[in-house]
Amino acid sequence: MTSKLWTKTLIGAVIATAVPLFGAPPASAQEQVTISHFFSGDTRRAALKEIFDKFKGETGIEVVDSPIGHEDFKTAILVRAAGNSLPDVFSYWAGARVQFVVDADAIAPLDDLWASAQLGDVVAKSIANGATLYNGKRYLVPFGYHVDGFYYNPKVMTDSGITTMPKTWDELLAACQTLKSKGIPLIAMGSKNRWPAQGYFDFFLMRTAGPDYRLKLMTGKASYTDSEVKRAMGLWRDLIDGGCFVPNSNARGWRPAADLVVRGEAAMTLLGTYAIGYFVGNGAKPGVDFDVLDFPTIDKDAPSSAVGNVDGFVVAANAEHPVAARKLVAWLAKDSESQAKWIEVNGALSADPQLDNAPYSKVHQKAYNAVNQASTYRFSYDLETPPPVAEVGLNMFQKFMDDPSDIDGLLAETQEAAADAFKK
Amino acid sequence: MKKRDTYWRILFLGPALCAFSVFVLWPLIDSFRYSFTNWNGFSSNYRFVGFDNYARVLADKAFLNATVNSAIWVVAALVLPTLLGLVVALLLNRKFRGVDVFKTIFFLPICLAPIVVGQIWIWIFQPDWGLLNTVIGAATGTASFGFPWLAKPSTALVSVIIAWSWQQTSIAMVIFLAGLTSIPRDLLEAAEIDGVGRWKQKLHIVLPMLRPATAVVVALSIINALKGFDILYIMTGGGPFHSSNTLAFFMYEESFRKYRMGYGSAISVVLFLIILLIMYVYFRQLRKLDKIYD
Repeated sequence: MTSKLWTKTLIGAVIATAVPLFGAPPASAQEQVTISHFFSGDTRRAALKEIFDKFKGETGIEVVDSPIGHEDFKTAILVRAAGNSLPDVFSYWAGARVQFVVDADAIAPLDDLWASAQLGDVVAKSIANGATLYNGKRYLVPFGYHVDGFYYNPKVMTDSGITTMPKTWDELLAACQTLKSKGIPLIAMGSKNRWPAQGYFDFFLMRTAGPDYRLKLMTGKASYTDSEVKRAMGLWRDLIDGGCFVPNSNARGWRPAADLVVRGEAAMTLLGTYAIGYFVGNGAKPGVDFDVLDFPTIDKDAPSSAVGNVDGFVVAANAEHPVAARKLVAWLAKDSESQAKWIEVNGALSADPQLDNAPYSKVHQKAYNAVNQASTYRFSYDLETPPPVAEVGLNMFQKFMDDPSDIDGLLAETQEAAADAFKK
Repeated sequence: MKKRDTYWRILFLGPALCAFSVFVLWPLIDSFRYSFTNWNGFSSNYRFVGFDNYARVLADKAFLNATVNSAIWVVAALVLPTLLGLVVALLLNRKFRGVDVFKTIFFLPICLAPIVVGQIWIWIFQPDWGLLNTVIGAATGTASFGFPWLAKPSTALVSVIIAWSWQQTSIAMVIFLAGLTSIPRDLLEAAEIDGVGRWKQKLHIVLPMLRPATAVVVALSIINALKGFDILYIMTGGGPFHSSNTLAFFMYEESFRKYRMGYGSAISVVLFLIILLIMYVYFRQLRKLDKIYD
């Protein structure tokens, strides 16, 4: 080959390579949206793949999915934010965590989308404003929500002679003693990852001091050394001292705790509706192998209230595909088939209360009624108070489960750390 | 000729230096810069706060707790695997039937990722059906022995150290075995002819001859211990309530759980300085040792 021929070949090769690089981008590059979320279990991932495939079929937009484990997601999304490489869309927990990213200008307001897609007509009124409005603007589109309750094994209860499920504090304590006499602890808790313990604090405080006081505490306007908090912790201690918990709560996660209930080694566990997805996924039948009851009333004067979390999607402020991202989040909230699929797989209650043929089980329906009958729906502790403060509280709950003897000392220590965390 | 050598040096060192600059040097400088800010990791708005973060580090009780835990961790992670590795190497440096099988078994933990090692030991320490409690229960006749080793602040760190040492012992063993094979046989035979007992042979011949291997084991143990994060993350997550928090984990907690990236960066700078000091002292001592050895 002559040198001229070599040169021509080289030029040809360069042009052939450069055309796709500098020419018009292929259509598919425009039709993409990247998403990251904490729904990482096999069944949830499979369901989401199905949902995203349907979205692609209807809109032509491909969803590039990168799920991350629930606990690791909390760190991973921060790492991506720090590296300025957030996905177009990511799942997040409504409440203080979304407030945090809103204050950091990391996500985009969606008011125009909320209006144009008429999401206000779809999303349940009980959660719409609390979960989506931050600093006066809409930032999160709910996908599903959860409500906490006691998931119990009906057979264990009835075999022990408890045919009427406890509705008051005294009835709960009585049930604990009845079960204890049969050698079965009332409650299994899995506080290894800390957050499963927060439901007790939430409910004891809401059922005594009420949701308004709790909100003050969560926003730093009340103190952990207040008599209201001491009373709530005292009630919690009554359960521990009464031998109502399976020992070594801090040594297990929420799933092994739920397994103890299914196996009949404990009567109940306090979890959100995501537990339904877990139970059903393991072959348990709703209403037969497990059921749900609302956390008992303690003070009759305290307003009825529900606690839980809203899972939603937000759009990154610097999203590479903002149009496709907005289309996706609106579609996820409005597509009834996807919502129905998500109820089945995740155990979540649908963000859309008018969902036709919602595949709610008997247990779902009870949880749904609990939210509807409650005068207030509040976010769980670590989603209501700012993340640095939540870290302080979550450690306190775990420490309390290990040694509940010094409530005053523990709360004084917590208040000092929480006040410091609120300042920073 | 010299100039040509320089070109070659640049050519061969260049890629490594580039990678080092991008992946180590630049993040190091960036962390140092962030340590003077109140950045939360999300926001593009942050301000310089001078030495506030450093003042806070020194006054933070949690930092003191993490420093004490780190000291325990490094000392234990240095002493335990080194001693155990040496003992196992001495035991396996003989000719007996099945010695290669034993060597393979003791070598196996090196092949596992720290996360896998952590998960294995979580099962061993599991309170209800874990191997350890089952054995203790059987030995003491307590059927329901269920101590939560990883969930009690008094035992969490020790439990992780045991798991860590289990894996690190095999690394030490391999290096000591290599060192033992390099000891001239005639030296030991001469000592034996002179009537030197086995223990004295080990004490006065084998151990001094193992100095280079020991230096490598100690260096590796210190470096690995200071890097040790993943096994803590999987086994205890720094808990319960900070009882197994080391400096590396404390930095992670402040940066990624509490969203205080500026403060976390200040902790990382302090940690970097501590490691630098340890390694400086170590290499100084090593140089002294080399001179004596020469």
